[in-house]
Amino acid sequence: MSVSQPEAGTGQQHRLQVARVSKTFGSARVLRDIGLSIAPGELHGLVGQNGCGKSTLVKILTGIYSPDPGGAITVDGGPLSLPVRPLEARAAGLSVVHQNLGLVDDRTVWENVRLGRFRASGLIRRIDGKAERAAVEAVFDRLGARVDISQRVGELSAEDRAAVAIARAMQDHQPGGGLIIFDESTRAMGKSARNRFFGLVQSVIDGGASVLMISHQLEEIVEVTDRVTVLRDGQVVETGIPTKDTSEAGLTRLMLGRHLVTHDRVDSHARDELAATVRHLVVRSVRDFDLDVRKGEIVGLTGLVGSGAVAVAEAVGGARAARAGTLTVNGRKLSLKPRRDSTAEFIRAGVAFVAERRLEQGLAAEMTVTQNLTLPRVRSRGRRVLTGSRWQAAETAAMIRKLDIKPPNPHQLVGTMSGGNQQKVLLGKWLAGQPALLVLHEPTQAVDVGARHDIIDAIREAAADGCGVIISSVDAADLAVLCDRVLVLRHGTVTAELAGTMTEDDIIHATFGSPGEPGDEPAPAAADSTLDSKGMAR
Amino acid sequence: MDTARPEAQGATAPGAGAPAPSGADAPGPARAGHRRRGAFAGRQLGPRFAILVVWAAMILVYSTTESSLFPHTGTFQTIFGSQQPLVFMTMALMCTIIVGEFVDLSVPAVFGFGATILPVLVVNHGWGLWPASIVAVLACVVVGAVNGFLVVKLGVNTIVVTLGMSTLLEGISLWMSDLNTISGLPSGFQKIALYDVGGLPISFYYGIALVLAFAYLLAFTPLGRHMRFVGASREVSRLSGVRVDRIRFGSFVFAGLLSGLGAFIAVADLGGYNATTSDSYLLPVFAAVFLSTAIFEPGRFNPLGTLVGIYFLETGILGLQLLGLQSWVSQVFYGGILVIAVTISTLLHRRST
Repeated sequence: MSVSQPEAGTGQQHRLQVARVSKTFGSARVLRDIGLSIAPGELHGLVGQNGCGKSTLVKILTGIYSPDPGGAITVDGGPLSLPVRPLEARAAGLSVVHQNLGLVDDRTVWENVRLGRFRASGLIRRIDGKAERAAVEAVFDRLGARVDISQRVGELSAEDRAAVAIARAMQDHQPGGGLIIFDESTRAMGKSARNRFFGLVQSVIDGGASVLMISHQLEEIVEVTDRVTVLRDGQVVETGIPTKDTSEAGLTRLMLGRHLVTHDRVDSHARDELAATVRHLVVRSVRDFDLDVRKGEIVGLTGLVGSGAVAVAEAVGGARAARAGTLTVNGRKLSLKPRRDSTAEFIRAGVAFVAERRLEQGLAAEMTVTQNLTLPRVRSRGRRVLTGSRWQAAETAAMIRKLDIKPPNPHQLVGTMSGGNQQKVLLGKWLAGQPALLVLHEPTQAVDVGARHDIIDAIREAAADGCGVIISSVDAADLAVLCDRVLVLRHGTVTAELAGTMTEDDIIHATFGSPGEPGDEPAPAAADSTLDSKGMAR
Repeated sequence: MDTARPEAQGATAPGAGAPAPSGADAPGPARAGHRRRGAFAGRQLGPRFAILVVWAAMILVYSTTESSLFPHTGTFQTIFGSQQPLVFMTMALMCTIIVGEFVDLSVPAVFGFGATILPVLVVNHGWGLWPASIVAVLACVVVGAVNGFLVVKLGVNTIVVTLGMSTLLEGISLWMSDLNTISGLPSGFQKIALYDVGGLPISFYYGIALVLAFAYLLAFTPLGRHMRFVGASREVSRLSGVRVDRIRFGSFVFAGLLSGLGAFIAVADLGGYNATTSDSYLLPVFAAVFLSTAIFEPGRFNPLGTLVGIYFLETGILGLQLLGLQSWVSQVFYGGILVIAVTISTLLHRRST
């Protein structure tokens, strides 16, 4: 701990130093003696599982939470008052780019950049648009990005949106100073947008600023950062490891505190009998789509945004009304067409749909684990006048055990759990019904490696029990380890079908490389990924 | 304006031996709350029962400062015998609030509509009591269904629909009653509401039964669980097989039914109705329902908390009135308590999550 004696030399001073920062909620200590330091011009990575305390640390740095007494945060050698005052932090050059970038879609680029900083002129308190725009142009010049600042942000591509968020974060930086915290900022970006994004981050670094990059994408962290800090259970495991001395596997080990069981493909559980058949499905751009899923078979659906893969999964899961088509499960024929106010008949037939956006579509944050988990069956298993508590307790206990849900408290409010554990509750909610057809949409999105491991195991187990599984995902790694068969869709038609042993690269190649635009960064992918963040579920 | 309540209070004066429902209430809800959130019970004991403590303190203060007026069975009979219309209306509002429709402003107006139709049909048009009662209750159900149709099926904004409906119904009620108090119902009719059971009118027990049934419905039945989930998230509920629109529509209809039944009992109690008084129920209804978020289940609307809230508010107002303060005190008290209690509950809820 060298906070009291920052190396006096001018060049060696830390841009950001966090020392002995702790945070306690009630009786729970979520951060314990956090210490880390970031040098000027450094790209520092911060990794850890869901619930390890990363977000809490960011919230302390931005003044949303006040830390327990005793800690210190200094920027360029000057201590910040605690709790952090947002304006003081901004003056010191500390800024954050949040998960969803924090942009207002129906306002222009320059308004978004200047939001919160508008200078009103004279007596009539009018915003001086010309001066504001000039200031914004200057920021983009420094960043080296070209964006039409009068355009509405909603119309921009994903990479331009990222540029706007970065411009907003860096506008107050002194030349050669400042620190930007990226909190899972790349989560909603497609691959090419991501590359461009890191280009911009590099130009921020080149300007002398430092960056703290928080990400679940270890690959990304290993690729771009200079040094890494690993958090586990609210404590720093290792801080400032030079990235060149580490690897994804090494980081994973540190994050988990155990060796990661690598996911190899396992033998297919597919049997000969059919679990479900889809016939003549017409939904969005998809025309006349047929699919047979055998019992125990895991079928992947993938494609760029707008390919129809997501729409097919949602239609088959009963979440979206299709224009035509039928689904047969367990000998029961369901129409995919009519508009309905629930998926009750799908559930009765044995269909389970694990939605992508877990807190909007999957779980109610203000209800408990048990209540969420048993919701689809509370009418069928409960009696009319009494829900019955014994079967609920049994079902919940079984799923907590099976999926290793933490904390293992059936009465925990779902909203207070970490993302990975929420995802497990969501999966458990449907697995507990022993479905005949399990449809999953991005089952491992934004969960840590430990949770991903448990989720993959649970999906395999369901297949081994004879459940037909459909996974719609853009995560080629998941598809490669899980699927017996992957259908790649493009503009509503299946353009490739991979079966047997396949690698991540095979899937990516089939998705991106194609007749017409082979090889290089495909422009449509970039344009599509604008929709990615917002339009995925539309 | 406020003629309804004093009349009711006067009517319930005789009798002796008031039970102490405040004490009897406590164990039931405490257990229900504990089941649901066992893990938090210890830490949240304070917030859960804070209002009960304040209530007890208030009774103590009034009893000492007003020792000649307050601590009498008559006082308690007034408090517990006069709030039945409010109990029915708060439960009606609760129906729609639980499923996520936050501002059904039409509840008091629907109540007033039913309470006007009944005496108008009997006194002015010579109908029999029962046909008139049935028509009055059915009219309220129909209004609930219309609200539900507009909000749920057509997707019109709840505030706009219910505000408009409320004003419309009040207007119609005033027209039907010709701006007069309609009274002169057969005296035997009052027995339905005022029959003395243990010193309190039987309508008090109707209210208790209704609240207990509602609390049971929410805590222990599949329908109640579905209602809670629809209130928490429509999309989650829909994808879990809950018939969301049916439940939302049903809630509006049921709210109409409860308002109608409340009107029926209130008319029996008062022996008539004055349509201009409906307005004065709006704030008390909202105050009691929102106060429930500070009782038993912090941050969550609940029927038992609402019941406690109603009698808590009435105790405070009656005490202040006995102190010699005028009728404006009820507005000050309802308004002030609503803002303070909900603020505290919000802060507590935020800290605990």
